[in-house]
Amino acid sequence: MNATRLFASILTLALVSAALAQEDIRVRKATAAKTTLDLAGLTGPAGGASTVFRRTLESDLVRSGWFTFTRPGAYSVFGSYGESGGNVSAQCQVFGASRSAALLNKTYGQTAAEARRMAHQVADDIIMAVKNFKGIAAGRIAVLGTRTGSKELYVCDADGGGLRQLTADRSISLAPRWSPDGTRIAYTSFRRGYPDLYLIDLRTNNRTCIANYPGINMAGGFSPSGQDLLMVLSKDGNPEVYVKNLAGGRLTRLTNTPHAGEASPTWSPDGSQVAYVSDLAGPGSPQIYVMGLSGSGRRVTSRGRENVSPNWGPNGWIAYASRRGGLYAICMVNPQSQEDREVTAGDASYEDPCWASDGRHIVCTRQDGQTKRLYMLDTMGDPPLCLTPDSGGWSSPAWCAQ
Amino acid sequence: MTTRWVVSVTLACSMAAAMTGCKSWWSKKPTGTAGGGSDILPTGTESTQGDLKPRGDEFNGTNNVVAGQFDAVLFAFDGATVEDAERAKAEKVAEFLKANASDVVVCEGNCDERGSAEYNMSLGERRGLAVRAYLMSLGIDANRIQTKSYGKERPKDTGHTEAAWRVNRRVDFVVLKN
Repeated sequence: MNATRLFASILTLALVSAALAQEDIRVRKATAAKTTLDLAGLTGPAGGASTVFRRTLESDLVRSGWFTFTRPGAYSVFGSYGESGGNVSAQCQVFGASRSAALLNKTYGQTAAEARRMAHQVADDIIMAVKNFKGIAAGRIAVLGTRTGSKELYVCDADGGGLRQLTADRSISLAPRWSPDGTRIAYTSFRRGYPDLYLIDLRTNNRTCIANYPGINMAGGFSPSGQDLLMVLSKDGNPEVYVKNLAGGRLTRLTNTPHAGEASPTWSPDGSQVAYVSDLAGPGSPQIYVMGLSGSGRRVTSRGRENVSPNWGPNGWIAYASRRGGLYAICMVNPQSQEDREVTAGDASYEDPCWASDGRHIVCTRQDGQTKRLYMLDTMGDPPLCLTPDSGGWSSPAWCAQ
Repeated sequence: MTTRWVVSVTLACSMAAAMTGCKSWWSKKPTGTAGGGSDILPTGTESTQGDLKPRGDEFNGTNNVVAGQFDAVLFAFDGATVEDAERAKAEKVAEFLKANASDVVVCEGNCDERGSAEYNMSLGERRGLAVRAYLMSLGIDANRIQTKSYGKERPKDTGHTEAAWRVNRRVDFVVLKN
């Protein structure tokens, strides 16, 4: 067997196993029955932080999409929780059907005010114990809201709780992007009159202007390492995609399209490619393109006149918003296989998708009439969940796993 | 009427500031935000990385800003080229700039509400740049023409009709008197 044929066989093998792996996922999806969980063995008093803890934990486990509560269940949670002296604590064990060894055995403690956060931690630990991957209950969301009369930056928990206002710029805030470690948020603000790009360090609340070139200064995504930030700048005469090394300050231009505009660049999970919006195909037809860190882009959306807001998820799929009739739908495309599917049901307009770190859920904006709220979509079929109040004009969510 | 209103608001504010002893009442944190976070910005420091090219902030704030002096240049749906029928509006601005040699103009690009906020920032900027290029072709120095995109954030008509969208796809001219 010569080298070429050997290589061909290896390639064939690789393709077959890739196809099998994919088939495997489809089978699991087609039978996405929920795991039964018995929570009756986890007990505590009613009232105060104890009730907040219990309700939040149950809600988180339901929101994860993986469980239904039954007695008995395939898995059982035992333990207790309670509040004393301004603190809330819990002790928690998880057992499988055999009851032989605890899959989780852990003690938790927080101030009573942090009962929700403690519940998020317990929920993610239970999910890890049963499903062996990280849940999203402890995730956070950066989001834009207009309830003060200006578009400001807010932060809330993965379930929409704990909402707090972060900026008071009294101008226009746009395009928040969260660093992978959760310590920094990049966003664009008109606070000094022009759309400049700022970086907020959440540990110190210090804010640094990192791009105030002539024209637009918009953030794209952070690289998986957190060291590089994609940007859209028009300083060289046209909106183009750039990448900036945040430590060294080096700025590299990635696109060169004098007759088209780019927007919303996002990294692939391994940091080797970038997906972005460009209207290269013609005025009025923004589409999603994928490129390496050099070279030119390859169009990955084929259906529809307007496809925008790409967000590359940890599962390799790019979520995006597609104009379908008068409404926007959230869709997801696999840039390798070109497989493309619609996630939303056409009951309202959905925009600004951002993957949650579990690769299953997508947080997005849902617009009914002029009401804009945050919704959590489930790509495996559970109904969408609303995360924010009806009023407040919520949009442009950015997910953080930490 | 307007002046009197401003005066009374200013008076009321001064009184409020005097009564509460609050140094800067206008930067007071909004109350009643969920979660009661005490860390609404700005509470930390503010800085700018040193390697940035100045944009011309010397024209910011201190000079006389004149908006609404010129008609907005309108654009086709998702278009970013100055149509023949709209050129006369830009030509008036060019004439003005030639007669007022120290003034600067900001071409403010705007879009209708359709499409993502981020794509519309790029589209609005391309509209501003298209008008800028046309002004340059009429002999105006590039240093005297700034661009600023508001994307879809500042509609002139807040309606949701074709007619509203038509007037929102525009470049406004703002003159900075120096």
